[in-house]
Amino acid sequence: MERAGAGEFDEFVAARWSALLHLARLLTGGDRHRAEDLVQESLVKLWFVWPKVAEGAPEAYVRKVMVRAAARSSRRRWWGERPTERLPESPVPGDVSATVAERTRLEAALGRLPAKQRAAVVLRYYQDLPEGQVAAALGCPVGTARSHVARGVARLRHLLSDAVEPVG
Amino acid sequence: MDEFEQRLTRLMRGAQEPAPFEARHRERLRAGVRARRRARAARRAAGSVLAVTAIAVGAFLLPDAPFGREPAEPRPELPASRPSPGETSAPAYQEGPGPEASDPPLSTTEETTTEETTSERSATTDAAD
Repeated sequence: MERAGAGEFDEFVAARWSALLHLARLLTGGDRHRAEDLVQESLVKLWFVWPKVAEGAPEAYVRKVMVRAAARSSRRRWWGERPTERLPESPVPGDVSATVAERTRLEAALGRLPAKQRAAVVLRYYQDLPEGQVAAALGCPVGTARSHVARGVARLRHLLSDAVEPVG
Repeated sequence: MDEFEQRLTRLMRGAQEPAPFEARHRERLRAGVRARRRARAARRAAGSVLAVTAIAVGAFLLPDAPFGREPAEPRPELPASRPSPGETSAPAYQEGPGPEASDPPLSTTEETTTEETTSERSATTDAAD
């Protein structure tokens, strides 16, 4: 990694690592190891186009790579996930681990969505992207992206109906 | 955005844990870059070899190329005349005896006809006598 722009690339990665890892974790339904792999692969791809995208929107590029890779990898491999009828127990009020439990429950619910629905919901509600940018990241028409978001939210609403409470 | 969606947004953002970019991440990233660079170089080299091979094979197989193989054997001559409309189309090239060997010679037919005509004429003469 010895070339012009390497310092800027390192700065970008160090500054955005935490956010990218969290995005990857949501995209993978809470799988920490897979999320780290996803970020690493995406950053490697970013390195090779860094001179072209550094002045533009490198984070948007990484996001697009991550979303598509997440959708692709969930089609290609089986990651040991088994669908269950019931999600983990909802947190007990006053429990010190309530935040952790809620996060686990959210990730488990996200993990039960199809990859494109999951990505669409995460981009729309975590990244707060407009529908046009969600569609661009997913590589599909706006109407399809809107449909993915609506179906994903409806499914999450069903899965988390009795669990989502404000954190903190 | 309804209440559930607002909660969903808060939950997704609230779940973020601080994760510093550590030295092991940096090392792994550099290793990934090196591996991808090697893979790209190998792919490029393989592509070049394939391209050169394809060009060489193409040049060898092209008959009108300025270099390559010697002129091929002369092509077999096509039949000079087309088959008559009454005949069924036959394959262009057949193994075994040609059509001349199987067909009777035309002169034999003419001779036979002449002999028959002569014998008929003599019989008519005998009968008249």
